[in-house]
Amino acid sequence: MSRHHRRGGCLGIAAMLVLCAQGVWAQEHSYAPSDIENGRGLYQANCLGCHGDQGSSVESVDLGSGRFRRATSDEELAALIRAGIAGTLMIPRPQFSDSELVGLVSFLRTMRAQTGSTVAAREVVLGNAGHGEELFFGSAGCGNCHGVGGGGSRLYVDLANIGGTRSPASLENSILYPDAEVREGQRFMQVVDKKGNARAGLLMNQDTHSIQVMSLDEKLVSFAKSDLKSWAFLPSQMPSSRDVLSSADVSDLVAYLVSLKKAE
Amino acid sequence: MTLKKFLTFFAATALPLCFAAGSHAQVSPERLLATANTPGDWLLYHGNYNGQRYSTLSQITPRNVANLELKWIWQVRSRGGSSEKFEATPLVFDGVMYTVSPPNDVVALDPKTGRVFWTYNYTPDQNARVCCGRVNRGVAVHGDTLFMGAIDGHLLAIDRISGKLKWNITLGDPALGYAITVAPLVIGDKVIVGPAGGEYGIRGFIAAYDVNTGAEIWRFNTVPGPGEAGFESWQDPAQEAWKLGGGSIWTTGTYDPKLNLMYWGVGNPGPDWNGDSRPGDNLYTDSVVALNPDTGKLVWHYQFTPHDEMDYDSTQVPVLADIAWQGKPRQVLMLANRNGVFYVIDRTTGEFLLGKPFVAVNWMDGNFDAKGRPNRVLSPTAEGTFIMPNNQGATNWYSPSFSPATGLFYVPTWMDTYSVYTKREAQYIPGQTYVGAYPTMAVPALAARLTNQRIPEDGTGAIQAIDPRTGQIVWRHVMSDVTDSGVLSTASNLVFAGGREGIFYALDAKTGAELWKQRLGGQVASGPISFQLDGKQYIAVSAGAGLFVFGLR
Repeated sequence: MSRHHRRGGCLGIAAMLVLCAQGVWAQEHSYAPSDIENGRGLYQANCLGCHGDQGSSVESVDLGSGRFRRATSDEELAALIRAGIAGTLMIPRPQFSDSELVGLVSFLRTMRAQTGSTVAAREVVLGNAGHGEELFFGSAGCGNCHGVGGGGSRLYVDLANIGGTRSPASLENSILYPDAEVREGQRFMQVVDKKGNARAGLLMNQDTHSIQVMSLDEKLVSFAKSDLKSWAFLPSQMPSSRDVLSSADVSDLVAYLVSLKKAE
Repeated sequence: MTLKKFLTFFAATALPLCFAAGSHAQVSPERLLATANTPGDWLLYHGNYNGQRYSTLSQITPRNVANLELKWIWQVRSRGGSSEKFEATPLVFDGVMYTVSPPNDVVALDPKTGRVFWTYNYTPDQNARVCCGRVNRGVAVHGDTLFMGAIDGHLLAIDRISGKLKWNITLGDPALGYAITVAPLVIGDKVIVGPAGGEYGIRGFIAAYDVNTGAEIWRFNTVPGPGEAGFESWQDPAQEAWKLGGGSIWTTGTYDPKLNLMYWGVGNPGPDWNGDSRPGDNLYTDSVVALNPDTGKLVWHYQFTPHDEMDYDSTQVPVLADIAWQGKPRQVLMLANRNGVFYVIDRTTGEFLLGKPFVAVNWMDGNFDAKGRPNRVLSPTAEGTFIMPNNQGATNWYSPSFSPATGLFYVPTWMDTYSVYTKREAQYIPGQTYVGAYPTMAVPALAARLTNQRIPEDGTGAIQAIDPRTGQIVWRHVMSDVTDSGVLSTASNLVFAGGREGIFYALDAKTGAELWKQRLGGQVASGPISFQLDGKQYIAVSAGAGLFVFGLR
């Protein structure tokens, strides 16, 4: 913990305290199994189509993290579901009864456990966010690809609000094991034409006969599969920091990422 | 590839490529000025700054047009309601097509397959109100940024590669009727647009915004206020009428780079059908205004329908061309007006050269004074007045076309329609229509009845070819139903258009003979375009809930 005495240490401690407090709060609640079960059914009928079975299919939204940008308390979360979010596909759902909302909130709050992944709920130590920022834009090389509120490549996720949508554990996991979970909308594909020329890009769309990508030089390109010898997903484009950064540096980096939250 | 190999590959290739952002070609202001050099692109709403909607591509000819076949269809995805009219003109460049699914979802399509690269979903403010459909006519481009106006009065800038929002500003309160349906116009580093809302008592304007930030650079009030030129044409003693004066903008203007003048048609004065509260000519409603795009300053104007009481918005396309006028070359502006008259104006000075009805007209007697002021003979009355053309007009926002190859002006026309205009009180209640009494119309403005229930006396639709040197109709392609379709003409002497019957067709540009047709199963309510991809010419048009692309077999 000596790192906390370096420049920027105060920010790191503050961020850690706030986040630990939130994590404990979420874990201390208990929800009735019947409510969770009721909520699961409602989720599958109403939410799954967009949010997916892991709650992470909408870009920058991770329902399983137990953290929500626009809601802290269960009551706020219920109100949010009922009112929707203007300007998004999250339409108002006035049809939900109070008991249905209790069910949905119960399911969402326990979702990661329900869906079998425990990554996001794991406790991680948050280091010095100030030093994490230096690493991000310096030796760790993150800023070479990722922007923070602009400045990055279109191919990679802008992290301006990553702390508002991802749990510390899930962020740490992505830094150490980037290929463990590559999210929809962030998958890269390589295509090889019949002459053997390979091209890679961020997958935008595909169908039986064609593939649409954003190429590495940021052009929108479409390929006819009939023109290709092969095509396949690539592993995550992000190099692992597992054997590159010390665990203290990783904690610092996670602390910085956790601090990135868009003001509402 | 193993993970280790892959990471090595990446360290060597992918990471350096992160720095290559923005290395691809951008749509510079110069590129927009030089569309003649890239005829395979469709870079502006009209295809060109001059508003001609004319393509120099000529692979598809009167000889082979019969071999035109459907290549793909892209269906509009309707969110939260029934499908609206699909009025957008797509842009095509750098291997991508961009269009707008109504009301305000921007989509990037693969022009070879119609597959979606990305969609930017925008949900307009629930307070948005539009008189005539939750529609959008398309995007404009500058650099890597697309611009879209939304029906809630917002103007949005969207990255054309990622589909992410760059900025979002508001032009006016949607609850008061401020809306944007027009495709913006980019000139230099400005994006220029104005609000619709002439039925809600808005005060219209044309404004320029910084393409990078959305900051307003200048604003031209289409309804002048105290101290502004033209205010003297609002003569109510209380000097209040101008505040609700209308003058909306909903069809993209045109631009002459040599004269550095742009031209915009301006909408009706409010209230629409009772002019008692607004004595005077009500400038600059129902006018074409020539503005300096650097400053927004008015250089000249011509008013087509002074003191309009028939809702004859002049938001038609001011088409620019250099033609032989009385044997001498002349830089003209041509506009087929909703009021039923085809006009030719000197675009350097605004001098009126010709005004000739292209349908049956009785609101004026065909005569103009020396300055081009029409001799108006009819107005709405308490008993009701039979006036031609009808309230929807002889034409409307539907894009006309001018072919330099034939020298003809092609205009989508509602033939010989009428309305009975009845004068009633108009009371302003914020957010509600401020119009007077709706005129009767045998042909409904928005929904089409089954054609087999209509009678010929209700009026028919047509594409008419006008010789701008005389105003004479050279040919007329008549349809059983009216049309909201735009017209595309090509260098190979083809004219593409359609109508409410859902038939899209190709005509011989010289004779009007029908050479090819395709039933699309939905109203054609957009302007066709042409583009080239991998050396092949295509024709695209929106109809019903689909975007259709045709190419040669």
